[in-house]
Amino acid sequence: MAELLGKDFVPPDVYGKVTGKAKYAEDFRADNMCFCRLLLSPMPHARVRNIDVSEALKMEGVLAVLTADEVPAQPPPAEPILTNEPLFVGAPILAVAAETEQLAQDAIDRIRIDLEELPFTVDPLESLYPGGPDARSEGNVVDNRLGGPPQVKRVKWTAADFAAAGEDKLPMGEPLAEWSYGDVEGNFAKAALVLDETFVTAGMSHHSMEPRSAMAYWQNGKCYVYGSSQSQSFVVPDLANYIGIPVEDLVYVAETCGGGFGSKGTAYPLMSIPAHMSRKLNGRPVMMRISRAEEFYLGYARSGFQGRIKMGFSAEGRLIAVDMYVVQESGATVGFPDWPSSGETVSILYQPEAMRWRGTSVFTNTVPRTAQRGPGHNQTVSITEPLMDKAARALGIDPLEIRRINSPDMNGRIGGERTPVTSCYIREALEKGAQAFNYAERKARSGQRNGSKVRAVAVGQGFHPAGFFGFDGIVRITPEGKLHIHTGVGNLGTYSHTGTARIAAEVLKMSWENCVVERGDTRKHLPWNIGQFGSNTSFTMARTNYVAAMDALAKLKEIAAMDLGGSPDDYDIGDERVFKKDDPSTGLTYAQAAQRAIELGGRFDGHEPPGDVNPMTRASVLALAGTGLIGAARDNLPVTGQPAAFTAGFIEIELDVETGKVEILDYLGVADCGTVIHPKGLATQVKGGAVMGFGMAVLERHIYDPQNGLPGNVGLYQAKPPSYLDVPSVMRADAVDLPDPQSPLGTKGIGEPVMGAGSAALLCAISEALGGHVFNRIPVTPDHIVNVLSGRGQSHRPLQVNTA
Amino acid sequence: MAENPRDRDVLGYPEPRYERSGLSDLASRKATRRQFIKGIIASGAAVSSAAYLFGCSSGERAVAPAGGVERMLTLRVNGQERHVDVLPNETLAMTLRYKLGLTGTKLGCDRGECGACTVLIDDVPTYACSTLTHQVRNRSIETIEGLEGPNGELHPVQQAMIDELGPQCGFCTPGQIMSAVGLLRANPRPTREEARLALSGNLCRCGAYDHYLNAVMRAAGQSAVSQA
Amino acid sequence: MGTRDMMPSFELYQPDTLEAALDLLGRFGEDGWALAGGNDSFDWFKDRVKRPRYVVDLTGIEALKGIRETADGGVEIGALTTLTEIERSDVIRSRFGVLAEAASKVASPQIRNTGTIGGNLCQDARCWYYRYGVHCYRAGGNTCYADTPEGQNREHCLWGADRCVAVSPSDTAPAMVVLDARMVVAGPNGEREVPAEQFFIGPSIDITRMTVLEPGELLTAIRIPPSWAGARFYFEKVADRNVWDFPLVNIAAAMRVNGNVIEDARFAAGAVQCTPRRLTVVEEVVRGQPRSEDLARLAGQSAVRGATPLNYNHFKIPLLQNLVMRAVRDA
Repeated sequence: MAELLGKDFVPPDVYGKVTGKAKYAEDFRADNMCFCRLLLSPMPHARVRNIDVSEALKMEGVLAVLTADEVPAQPPPAEPILTNEPLFVGAPILAVAAETEQLAQDAIDRIRIDLEELPFTVDPLESLYPGGPDARSEGNVVDNRLGGPPQVKRVKWTAADFAAAGEDKLPMGEPLAEWSYGDVEGNFAKAALVLDETFVTAGMSHHSMEPRSAMAYWQNGKCYVYGSSQSQSFVVPDLANYIGIPVEDLVYVAETCGGGFGSKGTAYPLMSIPAHMSRKLNGRPVMMRISRAEEFYLGYARSGFQGRIKMGFSAEGRLIAVDMYVVQESGATVGFPDWPSSGETVSILYQPEAMRWRGTSVFTNTVPRTAQRGPGHNQTVSITEPLMDKAARALGIDPLEIRRINSPDMNGRIGGERTPVTSCYIREALEKGAQAFNYAERKARSGQRNGSKVRAVAVGQGFHPAGFFGFDGIVRITPEGKLHIHTGVGNLGTYSHTGTARIAAEVLKMSWENCVVERGDTRKHLPWNIGQFGSNTSFTMARTNYVAAMDALAKLKEIAAMDLGGSPDDYDIGDERVFKKDDPSTGLTYAQAAQRAIELGGRFDGHEPPGDVNPMTRASVLALAGTGLIGAARDNLPVTGQPAAFTAGFIEIELDVETGKVEILDYLGVADCGTVIHPKGLATQVKGGAVMGFGMAVLERHIYDPQNGLPGNVGLYQAKPPSYLDVPSVMRADAVDLPDPQSPLGTKGIGEPVMGAGSAALLCAISEALGGHVFNRIPVTPDHIVNVLSGRGQSHRPLQVNTA
Repeated sequence: MAENPRDRDVLGYPEPRYERSGLSDLASRKATRRQFIKGIIASGAAVSSAAYLFGCSSGERAVAPAGGVERMLTLRVNGQERHVDVLPNETLAMTLRYKLGLTGTKLGCDRGECGACTVLIDDVPTYACSTLTHQVRNRSIETIEGLEGPNGELHPVQQAMIDELGPQCGFCTPGQIMSAVGLLRANPRPTREEARLALSGNLCRCGAYDHYLNAVMRAAGQSAVSQA
Repeated sequence: MGTRDMMPSFELYQPDTLEAALDLLGRFGEDGWALAGGNDSFDWFKDRVKRPRYVVDLTGIEALKGIRETADGGVEIGALTTLTEIERSDVIRSRFGVLAEAASKVASPQIRNTGTIGGNLCQDARCWYYRYGVHCYRAGGNTCYADTPEGQNREHCLWGADRCVAVSPSDTAPAMVVLDARMVVAGPNGEREVPAEQFFIGPSIDITRMTVLEPGELLTAIRIPPSWAGARFYFEKVADRNVWDFPLVNIAAAMRVNGNVIEDARFAAGAVQCTPRRLTVVEEVVRGQPRSEDLARLAGQSAVRGATPLNYNHFKIPLLQNLVMRAVRDA
């Protein structure tokens, strides 16, 4: 049936990417453009007592200084645009505009700023200890779960909490949130094997290749911002708010985004600085080029965990009880709720019979955090998948088998609410991968040593929610016979903006050559869509494009029936015509129908938008009115349960016991992403996600000096994202390719579990190579491995964070 | 910009406000060892932001003696002579991007670590962010914009990048392509491992390495995987 | 990498002879800066931590480029020869392979395409605190931020701590030491030759410098004598990443083996102290001994005697031990 779905295509934006013509934020230019630079805090927590800009402003060519007092304040603990109380090294205090970028920096060097030092911390447990420092004046913990404003509290655990746990185990004081189901204690009592593990996962920066530069100017009362964001429509309301204008006064252009991984999913305060500066300069264009160091300070990071998990297994390998506690390092600002995802991940991936989850989220005076690819989920599997192997080893069960025993099927449930999933084919992914990887045969030689090298084979799993619903779609058939699919989703680099647009074409049986994807610029009149994050696009946008196309389809049939007689149900479509089923020669071309729609007006050509769409969608439909047959609709399709995506990763490594170096010989990822839309695009996600997972597993981490709050991983060579030579030359990708029944064409999300599976598989393989589970910490770096193999202890304490 | 922005009305803009938080009582806590150490780093209440924490001054500059480079120079970029006024401290990446309009050369790190700014200097892949423009006078400079043929036909590496879906976000792609073109000029039929080494100075945060290598092998007229 | 990221102004001079360069550097004194490939210099400039008024670009001096075989059977390498040229040089590969191997492990292809051997040998310390721009001892201050109870010093030294605990980050420096290379230094008072081992200096001699080069002096060439030509060589670098990373530890070795007996040997390790560490004890242990697993193990153990780890770097002890063992066993 599907003409387009499941087939490769050339995404319209790829040509610009290979020719250098694609425009990223810093590639835009405007007449008379000037530059601004930021003055960043050298201290981890301070108060600005005085700023003397007189020397700077005397310099010829220096145009303006913008301070925190001149931009809209954000309610704490939201990240400020500029601040008089910097909360981490690198927090922007002010901006300077000048004719040249260098001059702006020279001017910053002349600014005299008086900072009063305030207490700070780079370790959540230090902040939770009685009398410990609070990273923020308002408190030290934040309930930042989505769905309501963040709640800041001051919580100190008792000295007894810490004493009871000892040095090596996570103390478990008052949590911010908890849930449980089943008879946790009873099941632990029944368990044949109980693991009680304390773990640490490191914070790590997104370090997208494109720093988040932005350019802005004002013209005719409108503010034009050229930004770097992985989302389009979703950015607009918050960005307008940061700038202090109504949505309709903002023109936002984000044609291409040089990587976001969660860090550019929503509007961020920094993006508004050129707009504020430009306003101060009477609308003159201002370019704010963000450097790599600034991208470290202001480009966000993944939260780290200090956690503890108790797992009780039956003799047969069934996980019958879990008790989990996660302390999240949330950075200095509101952060992101990775911590609840830890419990959800364990609950869905292993379907424990009984489970309790607790968690809290603590401020530290470190860089701001936000979602990073599988936020919470990928930290969790990096810890729990090796623990599943540990249990399997102790119980004499094959690692693949223990996953089969515990993995969910279509009846899987998530979290304390025991929410159902829309679909789940992780078992099928494990089966398919095991076969393609030749798992059984290779596993048999796992552990063999050749010289200083030990081979190991392992499997790892990943999970992430995979869709949202309730957003809008707009399609437009023009009198020229073209189908324009308007998408507000953004351009993260997955090509799913177009992959999901093809669903509208599929519904309307359009030839792809006659389709145009409209995106990347609010002036293209885009619908209200959620951002391109959270592995949701292939589910959410499939639905919006589907309902918009269905609306267009209904209108085509209505118009045909009106003009040619009969009822709409008497008509069908094909070859870009709407025609009578019983007399295919009677019909209208799409071009003719579009012309008729314009003549009919009203709801047919956009003059009367549907009543239930978002105001942004309504404005876009009205702006398009009269240009063709408009299909516009809100996604009101039914959905029950949580869309969920999974990945199974299979890996073979060689670990050098003399150097601690690990070489990945082979990797195969198998995604459960519903029906495959775009095979090549899927392959890039499965492989690229695994590469990022490898970085998380064995390379990347934050380093902070606890004495002065200085970060040690500002540059790329210090942050260590994986290079060509740190990953296999050839990688493999596949998918289960079974439809999600609640997605109109069976598609669901992809991009996050692919990373977790890669990370988990690699960590499991390292344990396997070392003859059993060793590390409850990521990343596992050569020094950790060498220390273990030489019988030395690790340099860090078990719960220490932001350290080697 | 077509119209003078000064003509527009004042925008509806909320009054700025900043809520100060009363932390003065916490500022002078007991002098622990930590604070003692910090005190050395950050002694002095008001100093220039340049010197805060750091040991350098903003440094007034004396007038330089004669003999420094001439700012006006001629560059040979993508086969064309370009006359341009270049500051002594200007990197090639900045000249290309901000003076010659060649924004295909990307600045990912400006530190010679990521490779997004890779261009060819006399056919040799070079980080344009870590090369002074004055160092490449009289040399042949080639950027991503120079690869297409006279009628806009794509270079085989560019076409292969499309065919293999090399780019994801695409930001590192021009640099990847320039490294690949440099490789194929020196070694038209590389093994996959040779290609991997040649491109290893180009980071890709999307992790598209495998697809990029497939594209290089395709452009070299070889099977993508068999040459591993 | 601190909180600034923008090169300040300087005047640029592009002499085409060594004499002109020395003259300029002599006139500029402390305000001058000799620029080769720039891969180290630009970091300092962009962070505005080092702010020379006058930058003397040496890359136009053709006389300082190239690899020449000398009459005695050795080679002379101009200091401005790129690492790529060294990596690919037939004579270096065939006779002094340890250097070609070391050069091939530096950073990335593009860095090696512009980075020079002189720059790689003279590069400054990579202690992250120092690079951040804090006012530490090496920067002229009176504190070491790395050598404190909580200092993050995983990459730092096992030996030679003296107010500063930074290490030699160079991959080619240990190779030069095992090849008994001699560094040709030119200055206002003419030319002198310094053995590689003495070219690098630790904090006890001058905490603000990594080499013997005085202001106004330049490394112009490296002379490698024929003594180790064609020996059995070993080079290995262990770093977190396999591209663009500095060594956690690297090892260079040269051995003359007759039958199975090691007649003579040179060993040097990088990233364990402020200079490449010549492992004379290892040389003593292996000299005259037949190669064996036991000897390799013994050599490894001997290499780490006296190592004094900091809080986060004791892994370097077994790592160095293993690398020396491998060198003896696998060269």
